[in-house]
Amino acid sequence: MISIKQVHKYFGKLHVLKGIDTEIKEKEVVVIIGPSGSGKSTLLRCINYLEQYSQGEIIVDGIPLTGEANINKIRTEVGMVFQRFNLFPHMTVLANIMLSPMKVRKITRIEAEKIAHDLLKKVGLSDKDNAYPEQLSGGQQQRVAIARALAMRPKVMLFDEPTSALDPEMINEVLDVMKTLANEGMTMVVVTHEMGFAREVGDRVIFMDEGRIIEEGTPTDFFTNAREERTKNFLSKIL
Amino acid sequence: MEFNFGLIAQSFPLLLAGAVVTIQITALSVGFGLLIGMFAGMGRISKLWFVRFISTVYVDFIRGTPLLVQIFLIYFALPMIVGTRINPFVAAITACSINSGAYIAEIFRAGIQSIDKGQMEAGRSLGMSWGQTMYYVILPQAFKRIIPPLGNEFIAMLKDSSLVSVIGFEELTRRGQLIIARTYGAFEIWMTVAVIYLVMTLTISRLVDYLERRYKIDDKH
Repeated sequence: MISIKQVHKYFGKLHVLKGIDTEIKEKEVVVIIGPSGSGKSTLLRCINYLEQYSQGEIIVDGIPLTGEANINKIRTEVGMVFQRFNLFPHMTVLANIMLSPMKVRKITRIEAEKIAHDLLKKVGLSDKDNAYPEQLSGGQQQRVAIARALAMRPKVMLFDEPTSALDPEMINEVLDVMKTLANEGMTMVVVTHEMGFAREVGDRVIFMDEGRIIEEGTPTDFFTNAREERTKNFLSKIL
Repeated sequence: MEFNFGLIAQSFPLLLAGAVVTIQITALSVGFGLLIGMFAGMGRISKLWFVRFISTVYVDFIRGTPLLVQIFLIYFALPMIVGTRINPFVAAITACSINSGAYIAEIFRAGIQSIDKGQMEAGRSLGMSWGQTMYYVILPQAFKRIIPPLGNEFIAMLKDSSLVSVIGFEELTRRGQLIIARTYGAFEIWMTVAVIYLVMTLTISRLVDYLERRYKIDDKH
């Protein structure tokens, strides 16, 4: 589904991704963990080209990430959820979800509204359709953001630390929605610090540090038999 | 010297008609200026260097030269190139619109840049183009923030529009000049002209205050 080959990224002189190689299969849930500054968010943002990579190749669903037309096409297939939600504050919840399907997929308002209502039901916010984002809690906003991304019917969902900006009591409501998605067979790439989620839902865990993939494996393997010293060190600090 | 109230009463309708023309030029110029300024403002932050270059040259040239000279350029110099005379109204509106556009471009640029970068990223990640995201997401939010500086620009333009009197266009200031040429009532007429400008500018600034307060109350909607 996603193939990443020898991807390098520089911010000026700073070498943040140093040759990333990995494949993400259909229906796979990949969790990327690592210390801050390890390049995990940058890698995620490269997958839908919000960040331009300097070298290498990323192919999503058979389409190489080159040229404006391809990039827009891939972005319609790849949903993204941000740490800070990034809902459109001047629109209602419903309008937030309907905008892109109507403008990009060119579906009618009626169809878009139906999709939006169905998705709000799915994330448990049917009664908030006419609220504005500022009237919602962080957890609710993030669930709307997930619904908004899903409205494009993406083949892959990227999550960039989706619970890091949330109060602790709201983390689970967002993780629950993500678990449901994973169980439905959505291909997901999740950057997170939620190790419980990684263990329970992840098919594979990737550990990154200093711009490299240090180690990857199934959650059980990864959390119990880490091979690399750096991984053990990291895990000992957070578990 | 005697203050001639009769002269004021007599000239008032003529001056008021001039004030209406002043408001027309201002509204038209700021209207066109908004369009020009919106594109030039986006151009100033474009990723394409030549778009950025052209927008910057435009803004720098207009802001770096006097409006009076710009009016002369359009009314006297441009006809020498195109070979026909330009009517004073068209020249006045053109000069003022181009002038206003440059100042409004900077207002738009600042307004757009004040919107969180995450908004553009969210729009793009949903598959919308840069233009679509600008139109549906960024500009509606930026518009609310730029109402106060736009109001100031409107007031500045209203006052600066008096400069088009030099090409014989009969707005408020020119009307005053013409009446004085006939009646020699410089004191009465200039005082009246000044008061009419003041009433107009104060009215507009109160209106802008009101709009600003209204949008603050329902900030995000």
